[in-house]
Amino acid sequence: MLTTRSAYLFLAPSLALYLLFVGLPILQVFGFSFFDWDNGIAGDFIGLANYGRLLGDGVFWTALWHNAIWVVLTLAFPLLAGLVIAAILAERNANVVRWLGAIYFIPRTIPLVVAGIIWGWIYNPIFGLLNFGLEAVGLGGLAGAWLAQDNTALLSLNVVGAWTFFGFCVIIYLAAIQSIDPALYEAASIDGASWWRKFRDLTVPLLRGSTLFLGLYAAIEAMRFFDLVWVTTQGGPGYATEVLTTHIYKTFFLVGDFGYAATLSVVLLIIVLSISAGAFALLRKP
Amino acid sequence: MTLLPRGSLPVLLAAGLVASVSVQAATAQTVVTQWDQFAMAGITAAGPAMDELIGTCEPDLGGATVLRTIAPSIGIRDSYRLAVSANKTPDLAYTWPAASVLAGYARVGALAPLDDYYEQYGWEGINDFYRGRNSFEGAIYGVPMEQDLMGVYYNPALFEENGIAVPTTYAEFQAAAEAFKEKGITPIAFGNRDRWPATNTLSLLLGLSAGKAVEEEVLFGDTPWANEQFKLAAETFQSWAENGYFPNGFNGIGYDEANALFLSGRAAMTITGTWVLQDMARGASFDLGVFMLPPVADGVAPGTMWGEGSQWQVSANASQEVKDAAAAYIDCLISPASREVWVEKGFLVPIGTTPEELEQWDALPIVKSFYSQGLATPDANFYDLHTTLPESVTQVLYAELQRLIGGDATADEFLGAMDTAWQTAIDNGERWVP
Repeated sequence: MLTTRSAYLFLAPSLALYLLFVGLPILQVFGFSFFDWDNGIAGDFIGLANYGRLLGDGVFWTALWHNAIWVVLTLAFPLLAGLVIAAILAERNANVVRWLGAIYFIPRTIPLVVAGIIWGWIYNPIFGLLNFGLEAVGLGGLAGAWLAQDNTALLSLNVVGAWTFFGFCVIIYLAAIQSIDPALYEAASIDGASWWRKFRDLTVPLLRGSTLFLGLYAAIEAMRFFDLVWVTTQGGPGYATEVLTTHIYKTFFLVGDFGYAATLSVVLLIIVLSISAGAFALLRKP
Repeated sequence: MTLLPRGSLPVLLAAGLVASVSVQAATAQTVVTQWDQFAMAGITAAGPAMDELIGTCEPDLGGATVLRTIAPSIGIRDSYRLAVSANKTPDLAYTWPAASVLAGYARVGALAPLDDYYEQYGWEGINDFYRGRNSFEGAIYGVPMEQDLMGVYYNPALFEENGIAVPTTYAEFQAAAEAFKEKGITPIAFGNRDRWPATNTLSLLLGLSAGKAVEEEVLFGDTPWANEQFKLAAETFQSWAENGYFPNGFNGIGYDEANALFLSGRAAMTITGTWVLQDMARGASFDLGVFMLPPVADGVAPGTMWGEGSQWQVSANASQEVKDAAAAYIDCLISPASREVWVEKGFLVPIGTTPEELEQWDALPIVKSFYSQGLATPDANFYDLHTTLPESVTQVLYAELQRLIGGDATADEFLGAMDTAWQTAIDNGERWVP
């Protein structure tokens, strides 16, 4: 007979591995943040001095702001578009749904580094496909150096992020919509409800769990975004696409200031855990 | 039943003993682990020379062997820093950049002092300037080898077709750039997506706007970055961007893409260094030319950015036998005979090489031209920011330069940001002073 104790026994191996490879490194990073580091070598214990540096670090605040923008844009576009597309697809022929779902999902299967390289070419000011296409349709005036300009770089990268995430939202929403009892829609149709009315009053409320899941997932992904930014802009031009992870990477790997990089990592961890806690609290609400 | 013939057991035991001794001898052999950045193409593409010289030098190392790992030039400084933090540095490494970063490793005790080997082997070709650049608190920690120079690669055919003469003054340089722009040809192929290329251009402009003496007052003295001469350099760089001398979207163009733009004949010039000579010589479909950028400010002597670029460094953790073998190996690598190999097979001109030697050796005309012009002004040549600034300042410089030339910061804002980062580095004891 299974008891609580036996359940913990079964959990013990994975829990031990988790503590060893996740818990311990987190504690280690936390410990790093209290020391002064020089070229990767630990120096004096400096208490909370690294945390004090955060207040005066303009790059940190810029990066945090960019992360916030990224979260909002990621929540806004891929989720909204994914929801609408999934609602439209759900009423189509099963074969169409299968094919289109697979096509939408393809970008999700591409590693972000590869996506970054592909979109780096598309945005390239010399031979980029986007500018070429704009010129071909007579919109050459809109052509620009998308990743090289302060005012377009972050938004251009977010388009790539949305492109990679959108298909995932479609698939999750499709699965959720298909699990809704069709009788509810039939009843609404008999009552004369329009497509929009059914979407607004039936589909959207019944997808609350999926939306919360996708929102949480998107927010966490948006906070820990790194590879796409690094391969395309390295946080530039200037600090235009700097996010917390690129700031951490530069501080750790390029400057060798492990203490301050650890401090930034702890802050990032706290933010991600806070988002997760908030989302789980919402998910528990009936 | 016996499985072995009578009398075979002692023979087998003896054979086993011999084999065991051989294995022990093999494992006891001195192995020098080496990291270097000599690739077969791209930046510092001296791989063929390195391969040949290992074969040449190994027999003179008293049985020691070299175990080589190639790390890309762009990533080796970061890889080496991680190795320092993990206390896993290779016995011998050839990395960039030099002075300030080398001092950082010496400061934390990661490198072996090489003063005794300098005394043992002489290494006369490395003069006091270079020895100073590789020193920290009175001890020498590196053996610099290559000389990096900045210059203007140009397409002579494009100049001739458009009736434009090779400039000898800064005003002529500006006039040439304007003329190319008017003819729809990109004057200067420049890409700064990788963030580091602009630092070299600024190094060049600082020296040609401020001169070596003022640079030294800032880099090693108390003069702030926000001075009139440095401001002229910053404004000049920014004006090149604003005036359309660079391709559109240069902050989104890679270094290699910019070089390709020049090599394809779509740009008249590109301003970069000798570290890419091999790619330039191999990739150009036209007769390549090079000239030195004339002084920007009146009264500043002609010169160019030069530096030791990279250096050989020995790990403090290496055993004495390995250190000795590494020093003997370095002695072989920088010998006159090896220097010829570096020049002919690696397009890399080691420190101590004279223009006369270059003339005699089988080097391409572009190599001879670049070095004869660059080495003609040894007293006026100035500093490479990459090899002089600590990494914390370099990271600020990268971003602030993108903002400056992108038009998102003024020269005053740029210099102010540099002064702030510079003062922080000084306060943290990161500044390298000769």
